[in-house]
Amino acid sequence: MAVITIQNTGQKICCNDGDNLLRVLLAHGIFVDNPCNGTGVCGKCKVRIDGAGICLSCMTQVREELTIELLQKERKHRVLTKGYMPEFEFANYENGYGIAVDIGTTTVVMALIDLQTGEEIANASRINAQKQFGLDVLTRITYEYNHGEAGIQELQKTIVDSMNEMLEELVGADESLRNQIKEIVVAANCTMTHMLLGVDARSIGRAPYAPVFREAQECLASAIGLRAGEETKLYCLPQVSSYIGADIVAGAYVCELEKEAGNVLFIDIGTNGEIVLASKGKLLSCSCAAGPALEGMNISCGMRAAEGAIEDVVISEEGVQVKTIGDLEPVGLCGSGILAVVRELIQKGFLKKTGALIQPDSLKEDDWKRSVLRAVSKQREAVLCRDQEIIVTQDDIRQVQLAKGAILSGFTALLKKAEISMRELDKVLIAGQFGAHLPAESLVGVGILPEQVKEKLVYVGNSSKTGAYMALMSKKVRQEMELLAEKIEYFELAETTDYERVFAESMRFPVK
Amino acid sequence: MEKELLFKEISDNVVEMEEDIVEELCEKSLEMGIDPTETINKGLIDGMDRVSVLYEDGEYFLPEVLTASYALNVGIDVLKPHIKQEESSKRVKVVIGVVEGDTHDIGKNLVKIMSESGGFEVYDLGRDVPLDEFVTVAEEKECDFICMSTLMTTTMPGMRTVIEKLNEKNIRDKYKVLIGGGPVSQKFADEIGADAYTVDAAACVKKMKELKGV
Repeated sequence: MAVITIQNTGQKICCNDGDNLLRVLLAHGIFVDNPCNGTGVCGKCKVRIDGAGICLSCMTQVREELTIELLQKERKHRVLTKGYMPEFEFANYENGYGIAVDIGTTTVVMALIDLQTGEEIANASRINAQKQFGLDVLTRITYEYNHGEAGIQELQKTIVDSMNEMLEELVGADESLRNQIKEIVVAANCTMTHMLLGVDARSIGRAPYAPVFREAQECLASAIGLRAGEETKLYCLPQVSSYIGADIVAGAYVCELEKEAGNVLFIDIGTNGEIVLASKGKLLSCSCAAGPALEGMNISCGMRAAEGAIEDVVISEEGVQVKTIGDLEPVGLCGSGILAVVRELIQKGFLKKTGALIQPDSLKEDDWKRSVLRAVSKQREAVLCRDQEIIVTQDDIRQVQLAKGAILSGFTALLKKAEISMRELDKVLIAGQFGAHLPAESLVGVGILPEQVKEKLVYVGNSSKTGAYMALMSKKVRQEMELLAEKIEYFELAETTDYERVFAESMRFPVK
Repeated sequence: MEKELLFKEISDNVVEMEEDIVEELCEKSLEMGIDPTETINKGLIDGMDRVSVLYEDGEYFLPEVLTASYALNVGIDVLKPHIKQEESSKRVKVVIGVVEGDTHDIGKNLVKIMSESGGFEVYDLGRDVPLDEFVTVAEEKECDFICMSTLMTTTMPGMRTVIEKLNEKNIRDKYKVLIGGGPVSQKFADEIGADAYTVDAAACVKKMKELKGV
């Protein structure tokens, strides 16, 4: 028997001698960030242990009595719930209520809809509770590999519990309303759909990356443990492939890509960047593994978009000005923040095309840039907030560069495949949670998207939830989406000819 | 043009990633009757060595190493047909690949390029490599090193399996096993009993040289 005392709250937790500290904390609902799911890689699960100093909780075994101090606070996150929607006819239910859901790897958004009027009565959103099993889909799939059937059930229960809590929030004390819920419609990426339905997602995580199903799925909501009405149905939108999921099908539908006469590119930027190109009546798609850097992870001072996160930066002779979410004291950098930093470093002459920071010694004695740059042994870094020691290292910039290279290479490869040039693109639609917070200046400034499309960007918001809503309100929409999913062609980026060269070229920063 | 000057120019253009110029210069070296092996070693490989140093110093990154290696390969393609006798010197052999279930191979390619220019003989099995193949090729080609890479957490256990296969066959001691890739760590290397984890391509080549005392 061992006892953990948490200094911040005074809470005491009993566990077995030798238990893993991170697992014990998570099991007791105590928030510890662990993007890599306890593999000792990401370094985000640090706690202060009395007598031992700062340790990674995932690498610590609990022995006898342990007093720890938590170093992170769970902060309020921003979740995007709205977006663009085309006109369409309501043609499904006469009355009652429905639920439209967007399950993202990071966030879940749910709306209670009056089926007669189409009005959104209430909405709820929260961070996907599966984050305790890792931040990205692959880490969660790895959890299934390591824990088999039990792991699959655990992941399912986590998201279902979460949705039940959100339902509670939407329906409130009105139990009769619960029974009037006719249907729940879900748009999610392919892995999330599998996990919600309790279907083995392991094959998604290995070449040839084949999902168990791609078609739309229907069952009773109660069959997976959702607490709505007894008769409430559940409908999950169809997928194109393992890495082009129903969320993207929904987005492509909402943005009417199929009806486009011109060349339009739809892009959802996140840990995975998904891209769909509509050109000459064809729909081509690919997915690029950008990694979590653009969401503030794998970055030394990175954090998610929560209060206190730096979301914009201006670097000039007057020094470094930062803007934080909630205008609080800066705590770290979220995705839009790290991109803003790199944009500034490029535009103000700190960064070379290759992504290397210039040498501080190469600058003149009185150059203002010296106040921002410093070299610690061989490693160069840019200092943003001296007091809070918020810095961006050369390695951080490399992480952004890899992410940027992945997305731009997908973009370029798709255009190549469709045999059209950057210039011929009429519109670039930016979808999703993360993209909505990225201004054109950063997207183009960092070179995630090419300069030529700067004036062509359109932000479409959470098109996944909108798609779920439309499918809830119209059977016709649903059928069209199912056809659309069949129509979107998918290709594996890594298998396209000359991909490596395209990737290498895409990694260059747009230094003028 | 003097020989040494030409070598330097070839080396410089590998560093500058100028494929076309490297190609021209290598053709010129043949016209001048210079021994192609010498041009490879003193021009092309010298350039690639300098690229490795720039990479270690953080000046160059993945794209530069890749593009420089394209220039290197263009040069080798020009010169190789003109090398008369086969090289007799015994080189250290490496079998390398991305483990089964994973198709991300850019990191592996980088290690391959740097190992080759570091003087190793490399057998590249490509990506999504069946685990048995690491063992059979290592045995067949009498390799010294088995290098495995993966970018995905889902496929990491394959590395353990390869080591287990070596143990089962009682041939573990014949090889040094090095692993790398995004989610791989020293801790994981310790867990599965690999000889080393290295953080990037330059570190991998360094480690191999250290282990072989070259």
